[in-house]
Amino acid sequence: MLPLTEQTFARVAATLPEWARPSAAAGYEAFSALPPPDPRQEEWRYVEVEVDLDSLQLAESPGPPLPPDVALIGALGEPAGHAINVDGHTVAVEAADGVRLTALGPALAADGETLRGVFRSGPGPRLDRFAAAHHAFATDGVFFHLPRGRRLSAPVLVEFQATRANSLALPRLTVLVEDGAAGALVLHYRSPSGVPLVAVPQVEVVVGQNARLEVSVIQEWGDATRAYAHQTMVAARDGALVLAEAGLGGVNARLHLRLDLEGPGADAQVLGAYFGHRRQTLDYRYYMLHRARHTTSNMYLKGAVGDTARSVFTGLIRIEPEGQDSDAMQTNKNLVLAEGAEAHSVPNLEILANEVRCGHGSTVSPLDPEQRYYLMSRGLDSARADRLQVKGFFEDVLARFPQAALEPLLRRSLVARYDGLQREQSR
Amino acid sequence: MSAALVVRGLQASLGDLAILKGVDLEVPYGEVHALMGPNGSGKSTLCHVLMGQPEYTASGSALVGGTEVLGLPVDARARAGLFLGFQYPVEVPGVTLRELLEEMGQAAGAGAGYWSTVEAAAERMALAPFLGRPVNEGLSGGEKKRSEMLQLLALRPRVAVLDEIDSGLDIDAVREVAAAVEAMRSPDLGVLLITHYSRILRYIAVDRVHVMAAGRVIRSGGKELAGALEAGGYDAMVREAEPAAPPAADDFLQGL
Ligand SMILES: Nc1ncnc2c1ncn2[C@@H]1O[C@H](COP(=O)(O)OP(=O)(O)OP(=O)(O)O)[C@@H](O)[C@H]1O
Ligand SMILES: [Mg+2]
Repeated sequence: MLPLTEQTFARVAATLPEWARPSAAAGYEAFSALPPPDPRQEEWRYVEVEVDLDSLQLAESPGPPLPPDVALIGALGEPAGHAINVDGHTVAVEAADGVRLTALGPALAADGETLRGVFRSGPGPRLDRFAAAHHAFATDGVFFHLPRGRRLSAPVLVEFQATRANSLALPRLTVLVEDGAAGALVLHYRSPSGVPLVAVPQVEVVVGQNARLEVSVIQEWGDATRAYAHQTMVAARDGALVLAEAGLGGVNARLHLRLDLEGPGADAQVLGAYFGHRRQTLDYRYYMLHRARHTTSNMYLKGAVGDTARSVFTGLIRIEPEGQDSDAMQTNKNLVLAEGAEAHSVPNLEILANEVRCGHGSTVSPLDPEQRYYLMSRGLDSARADRLQVKGFFEDVLARFPQAALEPLLRRSLVARYDGLQREQSR
Repeated sequence: MSAALVVRGLQASLGDLAILKGVDLEVPYGEVHALMGPNGSGKSTLCHVLMGQPEYTASGSALVGGTEVLGLPVDARARAGLFLGFQYPVEVPGVTLRELLEEMGQAAGAGAGYWSTVEAAAERMALAPFLGRPVNEGLSGGEKKRSEMLQLLALRPRVAVLDEIDSGLDIDAVREVAAAVEAMRSPDLGVLLITHYSRILRYIAVDRVHVMAAGRVIRSGGKELAGALEAGGYDAMVREAEPAAPPAADDFLQGL
């Protein structure tokens, strides 16, 4: 294990190509200068971070991979590729013929030219101290490249796992979808339960003109993992971005997401289904930036919290002066299933153009007593009635998830989460 | 054999608001009764108090197939054999009618023939295309009422209380619903049909008509009672039932 020191940074930076080193240096500088998250800042208001970053260490070598998730792999059928990163080290990559799915380390050496424009173009080092640590100390990850005009029908599966106690895992996913290309990616986050660790994954996606990428994130970190993920997605003219996240794991899991609609006609669809239990905090900070004409976006997130869990959704739609004729919608609906649980929903709009359509809606409510009564009048006991209502609550958002094959799996996980609450309440 | 539904001295309130002020009513097995009454007289309240809607406080007695249901949770009342067809069926987003019917079968411990019976009934009622759609969401008024009837058939209750099953239906749909009610008539079932219109009574041979006003059943009689109501309205009947009541403010104003 390596401590987060200047020596470690120097060692890490030496493995990067010359051109990438300044970003690592900026990371180390920010890591040394930035204060830890402060609960007085709006950004951390609802989140108890409780992480002493400086006490964490990097895994010098990866632990053994977790057993394969047979249900997920089965649901995906024949993925076009499959990459596994454990404790920051990419340990396995398989890809169908002609599919460019590789480990980042070797790719930086071999495919440097293509990577130059994308690698670390995403979340910056000064976003927060976690991002700084990532830039300073990350070495490896996965690179997925769809060259011009390439269209993949099957998705690729990327697994980010963390296994070592008291470690800081820093996996990175870099995706380049060139003009006219299209593909789909499933990103699965996992760690064993009961092992305290911190993960700071970063994902950067660049989508070219008339290109399309669908990303499905299945967040199933273990119950002692604290995860602070940063993700950016950029679309050029008429490019399309889809991000769907299912948030289930972690004691404290943040996804900081920024989407840039840079080219005219670019579109983004953002979907979310999350369900917190016990003392989890599921925390979403989503920024949707309309920076060109005729850009369109729709965010639709639904979440539930039980036990003493907490969810936070902070969303911002910003339409720049260049974003005339844009259309943006942001919706966040929450079910609060227990006295001790709470959901915070804070949608924001910043509109600097005058010819736009833009809306937002957010709700936080308990289960609907009318529905419960109606269902019970048909002979269902209250537990069955509520379970059905919870299932129904998530249905419309699941139906909009891009990978239809994942739908039954995710539905099962969400309902199982609800069943877990019931048992704990009746004990 | 005792009646399917026996209601005695049923009082109910919503907070401080007393709505039912002592309802007495009996529906024997094998019979179909109509309950009529002006808007706001408490008909829907009676339905929900029988079903156990938790907002109401109730006292008195309500026997369903001999079981006292007051005080029981809603689902236990359903299992005791009470079915309520809602005046305003509730939308359940994301849950299909098929899923609901399956859950109902499981909750009732239904046997192997359950699903084929339900499917056949859905087919008969032209509801098959709705099985895959969310419960009551985006359904027309008539479709909602038919969906309620299908659920009734699936549950095979002892008592069916149908709250305005004919409201908002076109003539053909009224006739269909009426035919469905007649088809259900059996020695194991008592039906209480709440309606504003004697129109549906043309297609159903109701055994008795009850008239409710201001939280009480003020008259019970044969089918001819519905005809009398049609002709004279509720007002006359209400005044007749309470001859000692002081003149209403409206009458005073009308005299000016
Ligand atoms: N939730 C409520 N809050 C306040 N008052 C209520 C509520 N529910 C019923 N009431 C009152 O109780 C009385 C009886 O209402 P109910 O709905 O039972 O009448 P009804 O006979 O079914 O009328 P309709 O023929 O219009 O359906 C009315 O005066 C009504 O305003
Ligand atoms: Mg009514």
